[in-house]
Amino acid sequence: MRNTVRELRTRRGLSQGDLATAMGVSRQTINSIETGRYLPSLPLAIALSRFFGTTVEEVFDVDR
Amino acid sequence: MSIDEGSAHGTRSWKRWITPGAAVLGGLVYLVSGWSGGDRTFAFGGLAVMLALAVALVLLARRSETVAGLLDGKDERINHIDGEATGIAGRTLMAAVVIGFVVEIAQGQDGHPYDMLAMIAGVAYVLALVVLRIRR
Repeated sequence: MRNTVRELRTRRGLSQGDLATAMGVSRQTINSIETGRYLPSLPLAIALSRFFGTTVEEVFDVDR
Repeated sequence: MSIDEGSAHGTRSWKRWITPGAAVLGGLVYLVSGWSGGDRTFAFGGLAVMLALAVALVLLARRSETVAGLLDGKDERINHIDGEATGIAGRTLMAAVVIGFVVEIAQGQDGHPYDMLAMIAGVAYVLALVVLRIRR
């Protein structure tokens, strides 16, 4: 599963800690999501997408 | 669907006191148990160890996101890790119980108390399976 969380975050000038605070998770969790080591729950994926003003499909994409 | 809007690290939450509180309660149980049984070394030693654990958890939570996440239960990744680690610990314990039971039987014993421990684990597993299956 690929995602664009890191690109979306850095484009807005946010640190992992900033995004973690906004999402109510730890900085480590944001790092794990960005590196693809952790697949977030659907509620967290939707919250991330809404935070960046985009859709889940545009943030997360299945490797084919 | 709800995403906690507070920081997993900074939000004050009563949940983060459950585990340290349980450690203190366990220490008090050890104190009463050891005192009742006449083993004051165990009574005070057990209380001291559990109090030290409670203090260590509270202090570590200020430095470690992982410990903070384990205590307040707000980080879904840490919760998943906690669940998986608990499962691994449970399976390891079950394996130890079964091995202990088999060794006891091989030595001509009746298998106590391993047989009862295995029965408790088996019943707990089936009950958990049924309840979780109904809820999901």
